[in-house]
Amino acid sequence: MKTMEVRIQRYLPEQHSEPVVESYQVPFDDSTSVLDALNSIKEEQDSSLSYRWSCRMAICGSCGFMINGEPKLGCKVFLRDYAAAGTLLIEPLAHFPVERDLIVDLEQFMQHLDAIQPYIIKEQANGVSEMTPHKQTPAQMDKYQQFSDCINCGLCYAACPQFGLNPEFIGPGALALAHRYNLDSRDEGRAERMPLIGSEEGAWSCTFVGYCSEVCPQSVDPAAAVNQAKVLSAQDMVLQLFRRKK
Amino acid sequence: MSKTVKRSDEPIWWGLFSGGGVCFAVFVPAAVFFLALALPLGWIELSHAQAVKAFGSIFAVVFVGAVIALPAFHAAHRIRHGLYDLKCRSRSLIKWLAYGLAFAASVYAMGSWLISFLL
Ligand code: SF4
Ligand code: FES
Repeated sequence: MKTMEVRIQRYLPEQHSEPVVESYQVPFDDSTSVLDALNSIKEEQDSSLSYRWSCRMAICGSCGFMINGEPKLGCKVFLRDYAAAGTLLIEPLAHFPVERDLIVDLEQFMQHLDAIQPYIIKEQANGVSEMTPHKQTPAQMDKYQQFSDCINCGLCYAACPQFGLNPEFIGPGALALAHRYNLDSRDEGRAERMPLIGSEEGAWSCTFVGYCSEVCPQSVDPAAAVNQAKVLSAQDMVLQLFRRKK
Repeated sequence: MSKTVKRSDEPIWWGLFSGGGVCFAVFVPAAVFFLALALPLGWIELSHAQAVKAFGSIFAVVFVGAVIALPAFHAAHRIRHGLYDLKCRSRSLIKWLAYGLAFAASVYAMGSWLISFLL
């Protein structure tokens, strides 16, 4: 078996005053993912190493790290991909506060997700009982389906320079999810979501860098969602002007 | 997160920025080609009478809008966000300066045209 040098940014608050990079030699073959490498280090070399993971199949979104400087899911990239580079540096996701080793505090992201009301909002006053099935044609579903694949991994936040500058920015993932519900024919909550989307901290903090869409492991294309949301917000502003004139 | 959310005025600047982007891609190169290459190199002819007629027409206004005013706002928007990315702190000052300059350039261009047109 070949081995590779894997360097990991460590931070144990009880030991370190600031993060340090430690180096490990890890045996690997063609099927060794970065997450496998972390598991092997934890089992064989240093049990104090802390990181999040669960599914091992790129669906739970918990194993996001900066791998050689790029936001990636640890279970979706393999050591063989870095064999040519010869070295691997694993750091916690950028733009989030580090709690311990590779574990970051995602609270800000969670708050933004919560704020955009990522669920179907249905006016109850229109006589539709909650038991009525919400019918939808395939064409109606097509409109939002791409934006519904988000696994809340936060890679797009680590990629977004605007979120890095201002953590109050709602950010790509949450805005994509807001857009997903705004486009859903069963939803009636757009008016409730628009004020936040149209605020300074909403879609308008985005300067269309586009890196979020590049790193998204689910091909959600949050940049497209954010920029479609800008168009909605601009329309909303114009409509508001006319409404006030009446 | 703050409870009161204020509507951003960004749609206005974004609209001018988008319009200016189209102008930068289409009209500015055309104007540069026409005024800085085709005319001086004699590829096309423009008599003084034709030039005076064009200057007095609606096309002059369109020219000021499409080649000066909108591109100026496009540039101002880029400069503003560029400076913000470079972590310049005085955000509202930058905003006033950038769009103020674009506005001044537009008014200056339009005003000069109007004055020479009326004289
Ligand atoms: S949009 Fe993509 S990168 Fe962002 S949180 Fe969702 S799945 Fe992750
Ligand atoms: S462990 Fe679930 S996405 Fe990697």
